[in-house]
Amino acid sequence: MLTLYHWEPNANSGKPMLTLAEKGVEYESHYLDLLNFDQHQPEYLRINPDGTIPALVHGDRVLTESTPMMEYIDEQFDGPPLRPKDPASRWRMRWWMRFLDAYVAPSLSMIGWSVFVGPAARQRDPKELAAAIDRIPLPSRRLAWRKALFNEFTAEELEESRRRVRFGIGVLEAHLTRHTWIAGESYSLGDINGFNLGYALPLSQPEHCNDEVTPRIMEWLRRIYERPAARQTWAKGRTQLASRIGILERR
Amino acid sequence: MLELYHWEPNTCFLKPLIALEEKRVPFQSRWFDPTSFEQLAPEFPADTESRLQLEREGPLLVHDGTLVSGSFFMLEYIAEAFPGTQLYPGDAYQHYRARAWGQVLAAIGADVGILGCAKYLRPILERYERRWLESYLKRIEPVERRTAWEALLDGRYDERALEAIRERLAFSLQRVEKTLAHSRWLAGADYSVADIDAFAVIAPLPELAPAVLNASATPRIAEFLVRMYERPAVQRALGYTRSGRPERAFVPGAEPSRWG
Repeated sequence: MLTLYHWEPNANSGKPMLTLAEKGVEYESHYLDLLNFDQHQPEYLRINPDGTIPALVHGDRVLTESTPMMEYIDEQFDGPPLRPKDPASRWRMRWWMRFLDAYVAPSLSMIGWSVFVGPAARQRDPKELAAAIDRIPLPSRRLAWRKALFNEFTAEELEESRRRVRFGIGVLEAHLTRHTWIAGESYSLGDINGFNLGYALPLSQPEHCNDEVTPRIMEWLRRIYERPAARQTWAKGRTQLASRIGILERR
Repeated sequence: MLELYHWEPNTCFLKPLIALEEKRVPFQSRWFDPTSFEQLAPEFPADTESRLQLEREGPLLVHDGTLVSGSFFMLEYIAEAFPGTQLYPGDAYQHYRARAWGQVLAAIGADVGILGCAKYLRPILERYERRWLESYLKRIEPVERRTAWEALLDGRYDERALEAIRERLAFSLQRVEKTLAHSRWLAGADYSVADIDAFAVIAPLPELAPAVLNASATPRIAEFLVRMYERPAVQRALGYTRSGRPERAFVPGAEPSRWG
């Protein structure tokens, strides 16, 4: 029995969704509405006490870290291999996943939370919001939500995040000039990771990510978008967040 | 041809030394002193990934021309590329747990690094002739790598900031402590790369932050450290020290989360 608790096909939730689709593995899908704080409700905290999404439950195994979760799916289930065999390409795949996860993603999500998650959640009753924040188990996540909900990001923090996103885009473009895919010559978890982070960059960073400035990134995103597994995964989206993927349609 | 560029056997420099000694893989040890900025010399091997890697100053493994940077991924590389003692034993779930620890320990390592740099590296930098020091610092790219050095001199790590880091560390170490309460090793029944990673990151703490790691606050971690010190490969790895006090060797590493 395999169950995935996830939000939209986007960022961390989308990583295991696309990986499972690529492997052709069936699973029971539990959609949690991040903006409704479903992930901090007692029934979910029984599964993942940290209250973070996604979570993959496979028999009595519970997995809550999205990048190692992708490697688990690839190793555990049949289907096309999503990790290169040779150690050097495998190392490159992992190095890039960490760079994207730990350098680009926090900056991109800070911008995303300040323009999307924060304003959307602020539509709710402030008392209800305060209570919702108090229920968040991890102190670091509590701090992150408080910053997003009460718009406590400083101008310097946001500018530094924008700088890092621009820098990350440049580094990725250069990488895709040297290699067809993130790990090298074959499509891998590195591309699944990068796609979840970057599929909407042409929309959110139009001056920095477009056909003129970053042709390699654009072509790489479109190649992934055209994969049946990506179509199938993004069709599970319920909000405008996921439908941003339409920007990748070739015109 | 296998070469390891490393400094004193502590934190991220210690990890590949232990893994290579566990496997008994012959390698050429290339010792360098990052506090003298030898890693910035033109002849020091470098590529895009080694320059941008998030641990900033760290070891570099050069295997038949391939540069491997980032100490946890270096452990995985050694585990997968060489025969010998199995460092990634068990099933897919044990492998998942080892990798999940790699992520948790990267955050712990960032905090340990700041405490270590504030205590041991800052006094060294303060003794340097300022103009000489700045001539090196200004050449460091990318900007985050340079900032990590400059932060030690700009007063941001005062006692209050360090206390906040110790508190955060005490919280994250409880996760390690809880796991070791029902398992001898971090990823499951067997010794793995996760234990090497944890030992390298945590071993300096009994001296560096005794209030955070000690036999009464974290008895299981204290026992774990003893188990690790007893391993011959760990002893051999620690034998690469030139100072005799490797647990005091720190250079700026990964930055703590920008989300606070």
